[in-house]
Amino acid sequence: MAIRNTTQRWGAVAQLLHWLIVALIITQFTLATLFDDLPPGARKLALLARHKSVGITILMLAALRLAWRWTNPTPPLPDTLKPWERNLARLTHALLYVLLFAVPLAGWTMSSARGFPVSWFGLFTLPDLVPKNKALYEVLVTTHGALAWTLGVVAIVHMLAALKHHFVLKDDVLRRMLPLTSNKTQGSGR
Amino acid sequence: MRILIPGALVAALLVLQTVPAQTPGAAATAATPHYALDPAKSSLEFTFMQAGAANKGHFARFQVAFDFSAENLAASRLDVTVEMSSVDTGDQERDDTVKGADLFAVAKFPQAHFAASQINRTASGYEAVGKLTIRGVTRDARVPFSFRTATENGAAVGYMSGKTSVRRLDYGVGQGDWKATDQVGNDVAVSFTLRLIAH
Repeated sequence: MAIRNTTQRWGAVAQLLHWLIVALIITQFTLATLFDDLPPGARKLALLARHKSVGITILMLAALRLAWRWTNPTPPLPDTLKPWERNLARLTHALLYVLLFAVPLAGWTMSSARGFPVSWFGLFTLPDLVPKNKALYEVLVTTHGALAWTLGVVAIVHMLAALKHHFVLKDDVLRRMLPLTSNKTQGSGR
Repeated sequence: MRILIPGALVAALLVLQTVPAQTPGAAATAATPHYALDPAKSSLEFTFMQAGAANKGHFARFQVAFDFSAENLAASRLDVTVEMSSVDTGDQERDDTVKGADLFAVAKFPQAHFAASQINRTASGYEAVGKLTIRGVTRDARVPFSFRTATENGAAVGYMSGKTSVRRLDYGVGQGDWKATDQVGNDVAVSFTLRLIAH
């Protein structure tokens, strides 16, 4: 598999970043569900710390991913798409990129507003984005949660679309983001 | 009269000489100055690691009794009492947790206490050697500090500052899950800046 993208397939780096972020987002929802039910305590603190570190990781990977996308060819959408499908796909992808930044940034800002500095796995401490502000913190708790759920819903739409391409339309849209499988239609020009 | 006048002068000179001469030289016999805290201009702060990041807190209420003379360290002593329920980490939920049974246990151990009856001179200032009691556990402790006196509006005041480190688990601050140090560090840096008024 090529490291860089081609006009037919996503390269190894793009695939790795895509699936790594998928795994980390699932981790984030799992951690959030776990600590939401816990009373204040050492265990909640540990899960929250992990959640913050993973969130900052997603933010870093998202930046890397965007940079990689801008410096690589992008495999185009299939010609078979209707205009509304094409628009929906573009909107979904744009929203996913925006949310990959917005959700962690809202979480980071929320921590700063609470007065709790964010550390990345205990290795370094990130700067506070805003001064301590209780009212802002309350707003950001809601914002971070709402953005996260939006990301979840959009990601599910994205996943269902990919599955439709694979199982109903039987094209290469999902296949070209999977390792170890080649395109069915090599050199189709897309 | 001729004899009396020089005699009175000599007596007066003797008094004048002995008053300033006594202050530095006779400290061993003079009372060691006693200092009390000026709470409004004093702070007792601490820094702890939480989830990998440094966090700060302070105690709003504490008392200090300080008898100190640089010329008579043997008669000098330091006594500090901290009201543990006055802990303020800038977060109500965290403060409530810290005051709880597994950490400060303020209901059972409302005060921390440092009593030092030995003050040593060090290369950079002084150190108070004594017993530190937190959460009912008493251990030997040495607290380095610097001290300088000043006269402000005619009143004798002293400024004391210093830094030390306390291992919270040495005093049982952290029971159950809180014994782990991966999220809340064992070492807590304590710093103080005190304005003291001589009495």
